[in-house]
Amino acid sequence: MTKLQAKNIVKHFDHNGNSVVALDGINLDVEEGDFVCIVGPSGCGKSTFLNIVAGLEKPDSGEILLNGNPISTPGPDRTMVFQEGALFPWLKVIDNVEFGLKIAGIPKDERREISQRYLDMMQLTKFADSYTYQLSTGMKQRVAIARALAMDPEILLMDEPFAALDSQTRDLLLVELQLIWERTKKTIIFVTHNISESVILGNKVEVFKNRPSKIKKEIIIDYRRPRLAEDENLQKYYHQILDELKSEVIARTKDDSK
Amino acid sequence: MKIKTLYKQILFYVGVVVVWQIIFLTHLVPEQALPSPIQVGQVLVKEASDGSLPYAIANSMWRLVVGLVIAIIGGMIIGIFMAKVETVNQTIGSLILGLQSIPSVAWVPLALLWFGPTDAGVIFVTVAGALFAISINTHSGIKNIPPTYIAAGRNMGASGLQLVTNVMIPAALPYLISGFKQGWAYAWRGVIAAEIIFSIAGLGFLLNLGKHDNDISQVSGILIIVMIIGILVDGFVFKKIEAKILSRWGLSK
Repeated sequence: MTKLQAKNIVKHFDHNGNSVVALDGINLDVEEGDFVCIVGPSGCGKSTFLNIVAGLEKPDSGEILLNGNPISTPGPDRTMVFQEGALFPWLKVIDNVEFGLKIAGIPKDERREISQRYLDMMQLTKFADSYTYQLSTGMKQRVAIARALAMDPEILLMDEPFAALDSQTRDLLLVELQLIWERTKKTIIFVTHNISESVILGNKVEVFKNRPSKIKKEIIIDYRRPRLAEDENLQKYYHQILDELKSEVIARTKDDSK
Repeated sequence: MKIKTLYKQILFYVGVVVVWQIIFLTHLVPEQALPSPIQVGQVLVKEASDGSLPYAIANSMWRLVVGLVIAIIGGMIIGIFMAKVETVNQTIGSLILGLQSIPSVAWVPLALLWFGPTDAGVIFVTVAGALFAISINTHSGIKNIPPTYIAAGRNMGASGLQLVTNVMIPAALPYLISGFKQGWAYAWRGVIAAEIIFSIAGLGFLLNLGKHDNDISQVSGILIIVMIIGILVDGFVFKKIEAKILSRWGLSK
């Protein structure tokens, strides 16, 4: 079943008074339970696309359908894990995880039950009463994932969530995220500029073309899980994506030097 | 480290009192102009024991608290509107900037004409002193909220008033608290000034009384009390809250 459909999404940006085309007709179908990675050169508009799916930005034209229904506003059915710094420092870890549930008016007992479950899943139980300044960057992102999952979203959106992590922490979370995906059967859209990440995580990798952005190629990765960063069998996918991206990066460099 | 600072401060104040007493004993300054620390202490002890000092402190403090609470609530509402609606900022915001430049004491004549020498008059001066600084700080606090907080709040379903109370106000707290601190300082000046001019019960009244009776010990003693209250409120209320907020927000070590 198609969970999410992006239909011809177009978005312009105002850059020094000039209108720049950021997204030039993005079409994407995400099936229920898909793990879709969007990979592209930095500044290609992939985060903008994710924000549009989240309802945080509006497209100039085109529409997003969730379960066949058009959406235009943000909603807890599409929770987002941001790159960093999106946890609320004024709340304890557990209250961060319960934030959306509280907004939704879910009673306290029920909230506690849900938050405990996801804190447990992300191995955060010990830190429930900590404040965010007491956590490492990796722990913070675990909290952010727990917070997003606690809403039991239709689709989980992740915007370069591991970009600020050291490589050991990242490798660990890459494995954990695959296990969580298998366990929760969530549909995930994961944006990254890191090709390895996309190969390890995605069952579909969408390669974004440089501005004006389009989807250049979709690569299906049908390979056993959990995939590890050091698995050499993933190399061929890596190079396939790299080849697609290389020309984009070169085009970008030329574009910038103009 | 902290204990060391405290020792230094105690030593300093003891030194000030000793030097003060020495100057007094030399009679370099006439006694009507400079009382001895002992005389000042005696006046304060007398007023404390006959209840006039506690009564005056209680009066000044309750006016301050009421005025400050009104100014905080009002200032935050104005500041949030200034931050959310650009037209409000361009119009009311410019007026607020102008009003903020008026010293607290300058509101006293107007308060007297509007309310007479009443509690309401003093509270008006307090509010007028604090409100605008709090509005301005709230405005910049809301403007400086990291956009990710707002995006995260909206993403989890918060909008409208829920977004304001659950995300914006707590996110702006580091700014808000410095606004409250400024507001309190202006408010405290306003209370004392209004009490002096209105001559109604309070620390300002005791200052005025000292002037009438030509009692330099009384005037000096009350000034010291006004200062001590200032130090206590600043150091024990606002600094504590501020330090806690800054550390939780990860803005300090």
